[in-house]
Amino acid sequence: MARVGMVFDLKACIGCNACVVACKQENSLPDGVFFTKTLSEEYGVFPLANRVYIPTICNHCEDAPCEKVCPSGATHTREDGIVMVDDDKCIGCSSCAVACPYDQRTQMEESNFLAGLFGNGELTPFEEDGYGRYTPGTVTKCDFCSQRVDAGLNPACVVTCPTNARIFGDLDDPASAPSVMIRERHGRQPMPEKNTKPKVYYVN
Amino acid sequence: MAKETPTANSLKSGRWVPSSCKMCLHSCGNMIHVTDDGIINKIEGNPTNPSNNGKLCPKGNSAIMRHYDPARFKQPMRRTNPEKGCGIDPMWEPISWEEALDISAREIKKSMDEDPRKILPSLEDFQKFNIWSWPLAFGNFNFYQSGGTMCGGAYHPMNGFIHSAFGCANDAKYCNYWINNGTGDGFSSHLHAAAQANWVAKARTERNMRVVSIEPRLSIGSAKAEEWVPIRPATDRHFAMGMSHVLIEEGLCDYKFLRRDTNAPYLVGEDGLFIRDDNGQCHIWDMEADCAKLWNDESIGKIALEGNFEIDGKPCRPGFQVYKDILAECTPEAMSEITTVPAETIARIAREFAEAAQVGATIKLEDGRTVPLRPAGYNYYRGAQGHKHGAQTNQAFKLVNMLMGNIDAPGGHMGVVLDTKEVDINHCEPGESGMLTPTPHQLGPTPPFAYPPNTYHLMDYFPLGVHPPHFNLLVHEDPAKFGMEFVPDVIVNCHSNPVWAIQGPRNKWFEFLRSMRFIVCVDLIPTEMTDWADIILPSNDVLESWNCTMIEPPHTEGQSFRQPAVEPLHDTKSEEEIFYELSERMGILEAYNDVVNKTLGFEGHPELMLELDQKHTDKEIARRKGLLWNGKDIDWYMERGHSVTEKRLDKWYRPWEGSRLHFYIEDMLIEKDKLKQQMEDADVPFRDEWQWNDYQPLPTPVLDPVHEEPPEFDLYAITFKDIQLNFGESLSNPWIKDIVYRDPVHTGLLLNPKTATAQGLEKGSIVLVESPYGHVYGRISVSEGMHPETLGISNALSRLKSKDSGVLPAGGHFNDMLPYDLRNTDAASGQPETVCKIKITKLDDWPDFLKEGRTVYDKIEEHENAKGKGGQH
Repeated sequence: MARVGMVFDLKACIGCNACVVACKQENSLPDGVFFTKTLSEEYGVFPLANRVYIPTICNHCEDAPCEKVCPSGATHTREDGIVMVDDDKCIGCSSCAVACPYDQRTQMEESNFLAGLFGNGELTPFEEDGYGRYTPGTVTKCDFCSQRVDAGLNPACVVTCPTNARIFGDLDDPASAPSVMIRERHGRQPMPEKNTKPKVYYVN
Repeated sequence: MAKETPTANSLKSGRWVPSSCKMCLHSCGNMIHVTDDGIINKIEGNPTNPSNNGKLCPKGNSAIMRHYDPARFKQPMRRTNPEKGCGIDPMWEPISWEEALDISAREIKKSMDEDPRKILPSLEDFQKFNIWSWPLAFGNFNFYQSGGTMCGGAYHPMNGFIHSAFGCANDAKYCNYWINNGTGDGFSSHLHAAAQANWVAKARTERNMRVVSIEPRLSIGSAKAEEWVPIRPATDRHFAMGMSHVLIEEGLCDYKFLRRDTNAPYLVGEDGLFIRDDNGQCHIWDMEADCAKLWNDESIGKIALEGNFEIDGKPCRPGFQVYKDILAECTPEAMSEITTVPAETIARIAREFAEAAQVGATIKLEDGRTVPLRPAGYNYYRGAQGHKHGAQTNQAFKLVNMLMGNIDAPGGHMGVVLDTKEVDINHCEPGESGMLTPTPHQLGPTPPFAYPPNTYHLMDYFPLGVHPPHFNLLVHEDPAKFGMEFVPDVIVNCHSNPVWAIQGPRNKWFEFLRSMRFIVCVDLIPTEMTDWADIILPSNDVLESWNCTMIEPPHTEGQSFRQPAVEPLHDTKSEEEIFYELSERMGILEAYNDVVNKTLGFEGHPELMLELDQKHTDKEIARRKGLLWNGKDIDWYMERGHSVTEKRLDKWYRPWEGSRLHFYIEDMLIEKDKLKQQMEDADVPFRDEWQWNDYQPLPTPVLDPVHEEPPEFDLYAITFKDIQLNFGESLSNPWIKDIVYRDPVHTGLLLNPKTATAQGLEKGSIVLVESPYGHVYGRISVSEGMHPETLGISNALSRLKSKDSGVLPAGGHFNDMLPYDLRNTDAASGQPETVCKIKITKLDDWPDFLKEGRTVYDKIEEHENAKGKGGQH
């Protein structure tokens, strides 16, 4: 069984947020809700100032703190390592959101949906079609587009990324694109001190 | 959650429709997913299109939210509120198509019958030149749209001079040293943003291509570059000339290229014109024979690039020597004073550039040709070129490239064509005296000289330039001064937002619009401009319509095909149907079809020519465009969505082989003299104010007038866009808004922290920013990524209030602070100055008008207050 993960190439990422919008499209996310984000951080002093663009996403940790604290068993890990939330079981206690050191979980509230993307209190046909997958009160997050993965496709954010800054694949396969990149370009996991064993890596 | 059926949008049961994007003016290939219920729920890039390779930018990913925007115009409408203005409710009343078209045609025809020059077109659909060219059907050359001066006013004519092309870019396939000067090409903006970002990222990650970015603000491209070179605004030409000084003084140029492939050796007389024989042929100095010979004399031994000579007693020197003489004063030290870039940086980059260019290297292409390999290119765009002396500035950049022999060479600096219409058309043609035929007018014919003028924006006096739409305002303030015999009273607007986009103070533009008798807008959604309309004619959107075109793709060619993914959601029509209906009612149907046949290239193909007495659909025109490109009928295009391939090598690399490129642009002087004589003969009253020094055959280090504003204006101000805001309407889109106003560079007026301190300002200070021409309000943010003399104002902070639109006003408009006069406009190209000098005053509070209603800053505060709420911050 594969163990899927993602590598972010910080050299390639231009912070364009195409991934963020593709995710909003694929997952019908309400305004202000993100399963992935690209942060930007300025550093240095003029004229040697610079800015780094940092994509972030659920790290699908092997020792996932969210899963450990979940009282209902809603949060679970698939065989391929994707950390999922079953919203039939989720009781909306938000323990997971507190436990996640990466701030990657969102409690879906009724208000997220009511205003609509255009803020006029009405839903577009796109929203009508898409919001049914969410249960208000439950907690959601990125699932690496698990259904796409099952269909043999890459996650939506990976597919659209203009600079190929997101590389997805089987971390157990030493010949896979992410494995090679992690090895050759010394991939680093986010916040290793948290001992969560993320399946997301960054290379420079 | 239903486990059995997919919830991921792209996996829901439905179909994929291959089509093309139009969220900016370019045309990336995409795939539209339509569910079995007819809902468009996902758009992805088309992986079979070698331009964007399956990738899309954030705007391309956002087209669904344009389609389903509840504010879309749903049927034709008529205003009932006589009071007009941005943000003032027109109180629309739905009317029938028949009535809307009848009223519009009647009002336009009334002006046409009186004087066709009284019609002011503002037709900005850059993917439909058949609409763009509609006014030619009644001989009208007026122009009230931003395309041109607010993108590449001087850029396009210079690309036409040098490459016979519309745009330009570096060749990412082989380039190893990429200079970006005032452009986001490959990172955030310009040509096919997603496509070029994809090509450039590959070059950077797979080949370690080095990027040097020169600009006043740390943009995305500068942040990703190996080196950011901060520069004082409007001094980019001086940087390029400092580099050229080093390249020539240190003998680093491609002399073989300059001798054989350019007119740099042609001998120039003291009057600045080439010395020609009785047949008009130019001369070259043969160093071996020590005499002048005709350019095509096969006995020429060694061609002189440098030296001072005489022909029949007349002093002359090669064009190269003329430039060398100009550059004598452009030492890196002298240019450092002007640009603030250290002299050693200018010299080092020149040397690095020359080394990377590998002068002398060649490469064997797949088509069998062996051509120069020059893997270094100097690329530039709006930020660097959009200045008073735009023509000279663009030429200075071209000459850095030409000195390296990299023009249209693998890895070098390339001409990028717009839509060559037929696969076998080469855009380059040999011209007189062995030189390439220059094509400075890339967007079709321009009006001949006339006085009194036939255009309201003085296009009668730009034989080499693009339309200067800001002159509509200049003339409107004093029509008599410019000898106007007419005053426009009708605006025909299509996908254009001139009241937002064109420079000059808004309050004056509002007066301009109030003077119009009738305004009709063809559009999708409300904008600042549609608030002024009398009639709205709603059009289909990109997901409901047909088209076939290609808009300046780097690296690829072909046709991007658009087809409806769904039936129109509302009672809307295609632009074609609207303009054909108007044309028929106005009695210009045959003339219009004749214009379209010429514009789209059907002329000369009897089987494709539009029948003059018929109205044609968008589908039929798209069908014929596809046939024109490669003989494939519409079914073939509907299946594939495009006919895009990588550029054919003979049209991409040295398509002008055998012709000499214009190192020295003699036409600048010839056209100047001609225009001067025409103005004398016609006794044009404003001829003494005309900026005659702007016509130069080679760049000079003259300062742009922006540097000579009164000293109280102690800082510069620039504006900028990023990839989420590229080209045209963006901020009405909720997904774009959700990302833009979380990005720190779009949340305040950017000032270097040391400058802020020196001005008594800090992050959060509310300020009034004044230029000699206008003002804006704003809130200060600090960034080390700003040149200390420069205030940066995101385009996302320059919107105005408009009725029913999702865009949020900030504190005015950057363009209010820009001049619209002759002094600040390049007479050679029509390019106006696009930066300004400013002074900043700290305020205690926002002015009252900004306290009414929601602004960008309210939205930003909402985001900041939501921080810490899980994934919602």
